Parts: sequence; structure tokens; C-alpha cells
Amino acid sequence: MPKVTIDGHEIEVSQGTTIMQATKQLAIEVPYYCWHPGLSVAGNCRMCLVDVEGPPKPQIACYTQVTEGMVVHTQSEKAKKARKGTLEFLLSNHPLDCPVCDQAGECDLQNFYMDHGQYDSRFDEQKHKKKKAQPVGENVMLDQERCVLCSRCVRFCDEITGTGELGIVNRGSHEEITVFPGKEVNNAYSGNVVDICPVGALTDRDFRFKCRVWYLSSQDSVCPGCSQGCNIRIDSNLSRPQHGEGERVMRLKPRENLNVNDYWMCDEGRYNYNFIDRNRIQTASRVKEGVVEEILFEDAVDSLASVLGDAVREQRHGRIGVLVSTQLTNEDLFFVKKFFKTNLGMDAVESRFSFPEGSSDDFLIKADKSPNTAGAQALEVIASGTYQSGEDLIDKTIAGEFDVLISFGVDIDGLLGKEKLDAILEKVTLLAYVGSNHNETSKKAQLVIPSTVYAEKDGTFTNVHGRVQRIWPAFPPLGQARPEWQIICDLSEKTGFSVSADDAESIFSEITQTVSSFQGLSYEKLGKEGSLLSTVKETVEK
Amino acid sequence: MEIPEELKKKWDEAVARYEEKRAALLPVLRLSQDHFGYISAEVEEAVAHYMGTTPVHIREVVTFYELFHTKPVGKNNIQFCHTLACNLNGCEPLIKQLKEKIGIKEGETSSDGKYSFSRAECLGACEMAPMMKINKDIYGPLDKDKLNEIIENL
Ligand code: SF4
Ligand code: SF4
Ligand code: FES
Ligand code: FES
Repeated sequence: MPKVTIDGHEIEVSQGTTIMQATKQLAIEVPYYCWHPGLSVAGNCRMCLVDVEGPPKPQIACYTQVTEGMVVHTQSEKAKKARKGTLEFLLSNHPLDCPVCDQAGECDLQNFYMDHGQYDSRFDEQKHKKKKAQPVGENVMLDQERCVLCSRCVRFCDEITGTGELGIVNRGSHEEITVFPGKEVNNAYSGNVVDICPVGALTDRDFRFKCRVWYLSSQDSVCPGCSQGCNIRIDSNLSRPQHGEGERVMRLKPRENLNVNDYWMCDEGRYNYNFIDRNRIQTASRVKEGVVEEILFEDAVDSLASVLGDAVREQRHGRIGVLVSTQLTNEDLFFVKKFFKTNLGMDAVESRFSFPEGSSDDFLIKADKSPNTAGAQALEVIASGTYQSGEDLIDKTIAGEFDVLISFGVDIDGLLGKEKLDAILEKVTLLAYVGSNHNETSKKAQLVIPSTVYAEKDGTFTNVHGRVQRIWPAFPPLGQARPEWQIICDLSEKTGFSVSADDAESIFSEITQTVSSFQGLSYEKLGKEGSLLSTVKETVEK
Repeated sequence: MEIPEELKKKWDEAVARYEEKRAALLPVLRLSQDHFGYISAEVEEAVAHYMGTTPVHIREVVTFYELFHTKPVGKNNIQFCHTLACNLNGCEPLIKQLKEKIGIKEGETSSDGKYSFSRAECLGACEMAPMMKINKDIYGPLDKDKLNEIIENL
């Protein structure tokens, strides 16, 4: 294993390690454009030039492999001069339209210019004009003048999606990124080319001009769009609500996790955030004599608690059914089960639905469009009682088996249609809906209790491969919404049972003590990247 | 677009000469240009399909080389060298004369499709300066009368 000295720090690395990788291990920063850890090495931008003792000319860190005894200087005059020269060339035809460029604030041309810039431009010639603001797909906008021709986007479409929509045409300073006439960048992962473009050449048509990036705050999270559970970042704007018409979430970005999604996420997940701020159930309500009226959160909980309490007292708890969505966290599911099954002694608690199934591929996108089916399975909220599935439970409701149906986030109308929902309403004395967004089911339910969306809660999801992953609240809940586990605590208190917890973490630790597959896990252990259930063998997860 | 069998056969022959299919792209494109006279978007798509890649990657190559035409060129594609040796030996007056004679400007094709004219960088025949190339043939050293005669005999 070769030893290399970089800026005076010696490090032993495995054979084949590049200087770039070694600098990463040493946390030494070398600027780069074309290199990306998830793509092949192109070595075309020359921004990563470093001074290697021996050869007369600076070498590119991204491609040059470390050899025994190599001595590298990243900050010598020679290295700095080389990078300054590179940057001067890269900027010779750049339009410098930062004031109207969405990338400003997170642009590597701006960032590196601070350290390696020429400052006094020597460029007197006319800059080449190229096409600006050209849509190259549903989600991607191209500005050819801003491009530094690093080819990251081209390699992404060739190597990751295999769709090959982008290319670099022409020669010399006339080179430009383009799509073939009549074709578009419309693969299922197109948003990623915006993420990896180091400059403002590719911008996101959805995010464009919505908010300056320096107003954003970020919170790590997990995409709830399917059972893969890609690691993401929620970028929200709370300080300038006027910029997004009151929307808090401005965009979602993928977060690196080599066990789950590498550096990528799909477009469906990326642009699926409007429900966080739109069409939310913000207040509790009930239907009284055919009219919907808003009520206090406490009153809604009281009224559901008294229905439950009466049923238990009168031994009618077998006539209560509970549907639970797998959009809920492990903590929520565990408390739902603990309260209804263990405490109230009910059997009919079910979260398995054979749909909604959607498109899938052999990369990230899974057909199960909910983030926590595996969690529901591990916690036995799925096919756990006499009921085979949620559909089964609904059919039995229509057959008259239940008087009360409580739905935690399951939109019966959306899943099974209006007829089933109406048939249920004819049979039951109470349909209660606990959920975050309005839908036909919430509109027809006699009692509605608002709950939080994933972006507002603490907790964990278990992905399709059995990886338990943390989510964190990006901002406080809207209106009266509370996490489902808290609603359970409230119900429990009102009915005289002892399901209670101070926070999601204490519920998780209770799970790890009572459910064997969660044994040994803790929030600390999950960290940013999650951990596999103990029942899952390490396998290829993707 | 349908590629005629004879051209397909030539492509196959070109590909057979290389270890990697991709390596045959330039010969395949040249064969296509010989056949169609220029490389249209449809030809790029057909070549892409044949080579197992996407059309934009074919366009990358086509637009890199001056020798590939993306628009139809005249029956006689005249490229006049204007680099050093040819320049010192007086190419400019000849270029002027040529343009007047065939009535088109640089980069144009005559409306009857007979001529195209463009300037070229050194064509590697400096000993013949001033010189020009018409399709695959080179002519030089040129003077006023020779140029006239060549054009008239086209
Ligand atoms: S558009 Fe962006 S990612 Fe693509 S080559 Fe240009 S600078 Fe690189
Ligand atoms: S693949 Fe699934 S988890 Fe990943 S971003 Fe898409 S919807 Fe979200
Ligand atoms: S990062 Fe090394 S050449 Fe671009
Ligand atoms: S300069 Fe004209 S052929 Fe070389």
C-alpha cells in the first residue's frame, strides 16, 4: 500500500487511489468541476491541478494515482498559478450573469473564484454568444453560456440512467451542451443533472427564480415517495414567506447514502413536496347535522376517546376497525398498535394494502409508493390479526362487522373508490379520519383530527431492504397538526390507558426493547445513514 | 430512415476491421457522407441506432470535424486554402475571382446545386500554393487563367 505525502501530511492508501481520493481522506480541499464520486473520471476541467514533486508540470488530482513516496503540494505557487490559469480560461466566455442566475450562492465558479480568481480580467475579446434559458426537458433548463463543459451531465445520462440524451457538440470555444433535435432529457432521474452541474448551466425549472439559495434552511430527511427511502435534504424558506406564496418547502435534494441511493433520487420523489404545504388539514372538525364545523383539537380527541371508552366498557371493542397507512413512522405504527391492540384489546388493526402500486425500475424506484411497509411488517401491523388486508377489513366493514372505523391516513376513496366509501358511511356510526391532507375520505368523515406530514416529525422509516432510517422535523407543524403517536398518547390519557412518551426517541427505544428485529438499534446508532434490522442479512441493497 | 443494403454492407465491413464497434464510427460516417452527400439528422439517428448509442453522441463527432457536412453541398465542393503559403502566393485575388465567377459567397451553395465554396486552412499541399480542393482532387499552383479553365471544365 503506497504512502503519499500531501501538504506535509503522510497517509497510506490502497493501491489505485487517486490523489483526489487521498486529499478527501485527509480533508484537504482541492477544487474540481468534472470529477464526481458517482461518475467515471473525465479529467477535462483541469481545475484540480496539483503540484507533484518530480514531473515538471502540475498533474490532475482526479486521475493521477498515488505512487509510493509521492509528494504532493496543493497550495504551492505552481499549483495555484495553474488553477488560476484554468479558471481564467473557463471564464473567458462565461457571461457573468450571476445576478440573474439561480446557481448564485451555490456555484463553484463563484466559490473557486474567491481563491483562484484572476480578479483583473485580461479578456478584451468579444465573448461567444450561445443559447440561454433553453428548456431541455420537463424539469431542466439549459444556459449554454454558463457551462464549463465538465461533461458531468453527459456522463450521468450515459452511466447512471443509460439514456444518453445530452452531448457536447462543435469544437473549441464553440463547444456546447445540447440535446438532439426533437429529443429531451426526460428520464425518470433528470433532476440529478441539475444537482451535479457545478455551475448555473443546468437549473431546475421547478425551483428557478423561486428563492435565493441563501434564504434556505436545510434539514436531512428520507423521501416518503416509495419504499426505497432515498436520503434527501428538505430545503425550506421560512424567513421570506413572500417569495414562495407561503410555501415552506422550496425544493428537495438527494443526500449521499451509498447503501441506499448513492447520490441520486428520482424525479417523482423530488417534485413530490407540494402536499407538505398545500391542502393541509389544519384544524379538527366534525360533521354535525350534515354540516362540517371546526372544533378544538382537544374536543375532537375527547369525542373519539369517549367513543372508544364506551365501546370498551360495553365490550363492543370488537366492532371497531382501524386502518393505518404505511406513510406513518415506526414510532407512530408502534403506538397505534400498542394502544388499539394491546390496551384496548382490538384485533382489527391493519395497514396492508395491495396498492397503490406504481411504476418501478431496477435502480431506485419501487412499486410500493409508501416509505414504511417493511416497518409495518416488522412491527406486525400488517396481516397481524384475523384480517388479511386493509381491503379485507373494509369489505367486512361494509358487511356490517364494525360500527366505528378509524383511518390513520388511509384515503379509502382514493384507494378503493367512492362506492366503497359511501357503503362504509351507510354502515358505521362513526368514520374518523386522522391525517395530514384533505381528500374525499377526510371530507366525508364525521370526525377529523389533523396530523403532521413527515417533514414535520421526528421518527424512523424502514425501507424495502430493512434499513431503518431517521427523519427529522424541518419546521413546526401547520395549524393544530400533531404527530400520530402524540394523538395516541392523548387518546390513551383520555381513556385511562398508559400509552405515553415524551418524544419519538423514547418510543423507538421501547420498540428496540420489545420487537426483536429492532434489537440493538438506537437513534444514535442510526445516525445519518440508518441501520439494518437485525433480522436482515447484509445484502446488496439497491 | 431506411439505410440501403449496399451501404449497410459497407458499414458492416468497416466495423469488422476494428476490435471495438465504436472505433468504426469515423469510417461509418464517411461512408454515409459518400453515399448521401451530407449527414442529415436522419442519418445521424440511423448511425446511432446501428452503433448502439444515442443520436446526440453521433452529432458530437459530426460537428467536431469540418470534413463532415450537415447540409447538402454542391456537386463540386470547392475549398480554397487561405493559409500562409497559399496566402503569400496570392490566394486572395484568386478567391475573389472565383467568387465572382460562380456567384456565391463563402459558405454558400449555388442555387443550381452545382458549386459550394468555403475557405480552408492549410490542406497540406503547400508546394502547390496557391491551391484549392474540389471534392477529392487538388489543383495548384493556380493562376488567373488556370482557375478559369478548371471552373469552366467542371
Ligand atoms: S451543463 Fe453543467 S454539468 Fe453539463 S457540462 Fe456544462 S457545466 Fe458540466
Ligand atoms: S426512488 Fe423512491 S424513495 Fe427514492 S426518490 Fe424516488 S420515490 Fe423517493
Ligand atoms: S476534476 Fe480533475 S480535471 Fe476536472
Ligand atoms: S498553406 Fe495552403 S496548402 Fe498549406
